[in-house]
Amino acid sequence: MIKTFTQDDVVRYVYQETSELETKEIRKALLCDAKLEEMYKQILSMKADLDKARKNPSDHAIDNILNYSKSFNVSSSR
Amino acid sequence: MEKYKISDSQLVSLYKNGNEEAFEQLLTRHKSRVFTTIYLIVKDNYVAEDLLQETFVKVVKTIKEGRYNEEGKFLPWLMRIAHNMAIDHFRRDKRYPTIVMEDGSHVFNTLQFSEDSIESKQVRQDTHSKLRELIQELPESQKEVLMMRHYMEMSFQEIAETTGVSINTALGRMRYALINLRKKMKQYNIAYDQNIYPR
Repeated sequence: MIKTFTQDDVVRYVYQETSELETKEIRKALLCDAKLEEMYKQILSMKADLDKARKNPSDHAIDNILNYSKSFNVSSSR
Repeated sequence: MEKYKISDSQLVSLYKNGNEEAFEQLLTRHKSRVFTTIYLIVKDNYVAEDLLQETFVKVVKTIKEGRYNEEGKFLPWLMRIAHNMAIDHFRRDKRYPTIVMEDGSHVFNTLQFSEDSIESKQVRQDTHSKLRELIQELPESQKEVLMMRHYMEMSFQEIAETTGVSINTALGRMRYALINLRKKMKQYNIAYDQNIYPR
């Protein structure tokens, strides 16, 4: 018998927080439940969009950090 | 999840022993995650860059002075520093607000673009920046969970403990946040297409 899963379970599944057993069960449920599958696809696609929406700092900011690290001297900081 | 050849812990160990390239790798690996988290809180590019630098200055000092004791938990530690810095700034800034445009720049920095047409502004505003704007518009509780789970990589259990709610509440907020964003992005894409290809 296929277990019933909630939309919150799908969120946990997409974020890889389900146990091994739950993961197997959810995969089965997704094959049989079109509504759940549709929701899964939507969340998965939103997750991918959120990854793409990450912002990058300027090269200048990164150079500043790297230069700070290189010039940081433990003995002189104390 | 992304798979790294060398773990964060290994890189931290190398860095402790003076390997600057290891630090560069850590920075490259996590810069966008840290920057995005800070940006979503302070909503200002320039402030976010300053706070990113302050975050990593703290990381450098702590590791090089031998005070780092979060073995195996570099990312949560790093994200905690970034989050606290951003929240502290946000609270201070609330008392002395500055005008920030939708794309996160100061109002004065946009004056040079004042001659641009409305159309060219629309073209510049890409889907990703729109999505970041929409995240800002989410109810605070949903935005908080989304940021913590997606960008800070905290588990729902950790989020529940940090925010003082049940796991189910945290999960529900995340689900609403994702569904809301999806709906709003759909509306935005339709409106955008109608602007570009009017009937």
